[in-house]
Amino acid sequence: MAVVTTRQKASWSVANTIVALYALIPVLWILSLSLKDKSTFTDGHFIPRGWTFQNFIDIFQVGGFTRPLLNSIGIAVIATFIAIVIGTFAAYAIARLEFPGKRLMLGASLLIAMFPQVSLVTPMFQVERSIGLFNTWPGLILPYITFTLPLTIYTLSSFLREIPWELEKAAKMDGATPFQAFRQVIVPLAMPGVVTTAILAFIQCWNDFVFAISLTSTTSARTAPAAIAFFTGASQFEDPTGSIAAAAIVITIPIIIFVLIFQRRIVSGLTSGAVKG
Amino acid sequence: MTQATVQSKARLSSGSVAGKAKKPLSDGKRSERKLGWLLCLPAAVVMVVVTIYPIVYSVMLSLQRYDLRFPDKKGFVGFANYATVLTNSFWWRAFAVTMVITVVSVVFELVLGMTLAMVMHRTVIGKGFVRTLALIPYGIVTVAAAYGWQYAWTPNTGYLAQLPLWSGSAPLTHQASSLAIIILAEIWKTTPFMALLLMAGLAIVPEELQKAAAMDGASPWQRFTKVTLPLMKPAILVALLFRVLDAVRVYDNIYVLTNGANGTSSLSITTYHNLISGLNLGIGSTMSVLMFITVALIAFIFIKVFGTAAPGSENTGRR
Amino acid sequence: MRPHNHRGRLRTSLAVGAAAIMASTLVTACGSGSTGTPTINLYNAPQQNLAAMVANCNKAANGKYQIKLNTLPRTADQQREQLVRRLAAGDSGLDILGLDVTWTAELAEAGWIREWTGADRAEAEKGTLAAPLKTAQWDGKLYAAPYNTNVQLLWYRADLLPKPADTWAGLQKQAEQLAAANKPHYVEAQGAQYEGLTVWFNSLVASAGGSVLDSSGTKVSMGQPSVKAMQTLRDFANSKAADPSLTNTQEDPARLQLEGGFAAAEVNWPYVYPAMQANTAVKFKKDFKWAPYPGIDGPGKSPLGGSNFAISKYSAHPAEAFDAALCLRSPANQKIAATKDGLPPTIESVYHDDTPLDATKKAGPDNPSMATAYPMRDAILSALKTAAPRPVTPTYQNVSTVIQAALSPPGSIDPAATETYLHDQVDNALQSKGVLP
Repeated sequence: MAVVTTRQKASWSVANTIVALYALIPVLWILSLSLKDKSTFTDGHFIPRGWTFQNFIDIFQVGGFTRPLLNSIGIAVIATFIAIVIGTFAAYAIARLEFPGKRLMLGASLLIAMFPQVSLVTPMFQVERSIGLFNTWPGLILPYITFTLPLTIYTLSSFLREIPWELEKAAKMDGATPFQAFRQVIVPLAMPGVVTTAILAFIQCWNDFVFAISLTSTTSARTAPAAIAFFTGASQFEDPTGSIAAAAIVITIPIIIFVLIFQRRIVSGLTSGAVKG
Repeated sequence: MTQATVQSKARLSSGSVAGKAKKPLSDGKRSERKLGWLLCLPAAVVMVVVTIYPIVYSVMLSLQRYDLRFPDKKGFVGFANYATVLTNSFWWRAFAVTMVITVVSVVFELVLGMTLAMVMHRTVIGKGFVRTLALIPYGIVTVAAAYGWQYAWTPNTGYLAQLPLWSGSAPLTHQASSLAIIILAEIWKTTPFMALLLMAGLAIVPEELQKAAAMDGASPWQRFTKVTLPLMKPAILVALLFRVLDAVRVYDNIYVLTNGANGTSSLSITTYHNLISGLNLGIGSTMSVLMFITVALIAFIFIKVFGTAAPGSENTGRR
Repeated sequence: MRPHNHRGRLRTSLAVGAAAIMASTLVTACGSGSTGTPTINLYNAPQQNLAAMVANCNKAANGKYQIKLNTLPRTADQQREQLVRRLAAGDSGLDILGLDVTWTAELAEAGWIREWTGADRAEAEKGTLAAPLKTAQWDGKLYAAPYNTNVQLLWYRADLLPKPADTWAGLQKQAEQLAAANKPHYVEAQGAQYEGLTVWFNSLVASAGGSVLDSSGTKVSMGQPSVKAMQTLRDFANSKAADPSLTNTQEDPARLQLEGGFAAAEVNWPYVYPAMQANTAVKFKKDFKWAPYPGIDGPGKSPLGGSNFAISKYSAHPAEAFDAALCLRSPANQKIAATKDGLPPTIESVYHDDTPLDATKKAGPDNPSMATAYPMRDAILSALKTAAPRPVTPTYQNVSTVIQAALSPPGSIDPAATETYLHDQVDNALQSKGVLP
């Protein structure tokens, strides 16, 4: 593919445009709804006729969206952090060490990655309400760690396999213990992979809905996606369309930022962890 | 760690892994094992506590009559709950709905995902731009997107419901049109994910093979079906396995779009309704167990029948 | 109007945030304030002027307790789900629960709400209408204080229907005549697959002289009256009177169709009256009238709705909670709920109270009295005498869900077969063998 002809350029531009429309139209629609004036919700226009930021102001000032947003951030960050720490240990062992039970470990985490979350709702609900974890941050952090661990282990172990391990050998030659070698040589090298994995894990936690609605009951632990589902209208009979759209945009912003900054990493993370020939 | 460990590690990383024959373990081997277990321990403990224990607990609950509204009538009932669920038409309808959503959405996602993967992989201009955009549906919170779809299809409010093709009707109140919208929402959200998995497969197809085939006079379509696809088979199977198992547990989109009204309940929605709305822990747990078995069966079929390589299942990893 | 106490919320947030790991601390933080005055948490459906009533009671309590209003989600299903999930978890952060009339049995049987006894019970029963009082009872005991009641009436446009028929079949005939004259002819009813469909069906069964469950609430009754009800439902759905979007119609779309001039009549709750008065675009406002709910062979039995206040078993301050609940349902507060929010009172004397809200001024649009805001009060009172309560059973949620599923869409009901099928389904639901869709 030495020379790119104008013709090629044109046809790829068309393809790119189609992808852009595909990805953006549904998001722009939510944005449009969130900016619509209350009286124009039912006009069905894609582009708002009456513009307002009132919906955004409302969800924070009267809708009580601040607390769920903080819950979402806090819970997702803590769960991601813990999953990365313990996932890194396991990924290192899987990528680097020979030990019986390795296949079992991988098989079990694959199973969990595919596990229907709803199957866990009954027992988790029962267990959490009996030990007082129901409707608390740890009550959500725990399942989030579990469901991000498989992804963390897979993605990280494939990153770790790419690391030039001669350096570790060299460090050990210099008298470092395996743990020192791991901490001082491998960890810095693995950092890009860890960051990528952390983003993927965060997105997964951020997206969760099943646990968020079944293991919480008040705003003390309810996350943003669950809070959106429970918005009330300004009066008994009013549908909170504007609030829902505005809140949906607010929780999409971090994702857009991640995607803009880390596109390359996310793509490499998703393509390396999952598929090997 | 001793000097022996370092030496054994040195041997390991230079590629001379000890044979599989049973030899007395060296100190190094033993401590490597220990370290391996030690490092896996935290992850294993969390996974066992949060999933294995609840699964066992679910199985126990599923053998009891346990309705939170009748705390006095709790008791062991054997497999009666299974009989109740497996003879119930709502359960089987949910099963059928789930299968329809899974099959239709995964087929579309495979075709669209392959196309998108081609664009992302081969486009000569704006590669980063296209990839960035494609990640938006992947990253967006499912519930947020689902509300967008819901309003888009609500008469008066939505731009899609306005289209003259179906004007005057409320698409989200009929089974077929509701299912179509649920499937659309699923496809939109997960096609990029599928495309990324497939792109990884595309990347391993050697460029030289393509060129050689082109020299031999193969058309682009022939090159795709005869060269690219066979080489991509493992990647496609893994992508399918991932997506099928993900689609079987479809919940968020349905919760927002119909909440299971008009015969659109999936297995997850039905299970949730019985557990949380019905407070019937016995029936709810039975459904949980049945869903788990369904998922396990599908995974088993993929791995044993189609020979899908479970990701990461190779012994020593790719090096 | 949602209540919001920014400082209170901030304080709780901080407390909760700091102690996020400590579940026990969290419960305490929700349960009571740190000061000596106990906080009584009221959980209720969204209601515009409830905050004002809460303020009245807080003033009257004079430091004995402080009621904090928490608003539940907007649909009844979501409200119930929130409440039962927290009760199942033994959450002490709930004190007063605003319950839909259909939840009493379920919560009482599960042991989640307290029985009303002694002076509290006497106070809750004093002057309370019989129909709403019954919805607060279970197993011969009182489990809640009736707050507001509700009955559906037939609301119609006198310019189109000078004399509306008192049966569904009669209305269908009148609709045909209107249709032939090219006039708006729909009779709006709640035919979507949701609680409203159960409400409609249950009223039809009662009008046909039957009931869904027997009087003990443990056995299915149904039978011939049910078949008749299903026939009426199906015939109506296939007649000229039915709006084409019947299968999508809930209360508010029905109201909007009539206000928009597309319908000649609707069956609905009395909230449609103040809504109609507030709509400035409607030309036929003076022709908007009400009549008894239609029946099968004569006037029908109205669906009965409403909500009651119950006290959570896990409340840390039950004495104060009972007291606060009684205040919130006092005649004075019921009058505010009726005249401002359109909710029919449960205390009979409120209906006859012609003093405006502000007794020092003359009654008028800004200072409503029962006479100005509630001209249909007599119709409501007489409908309450015969109204059809919904089945009383702890498994009501399941019973109602299977009814909705079996009758949807109403146009394709096969009465005899559907009755047999539904009989079975309801029976299963009663034995908690019922599977929800």
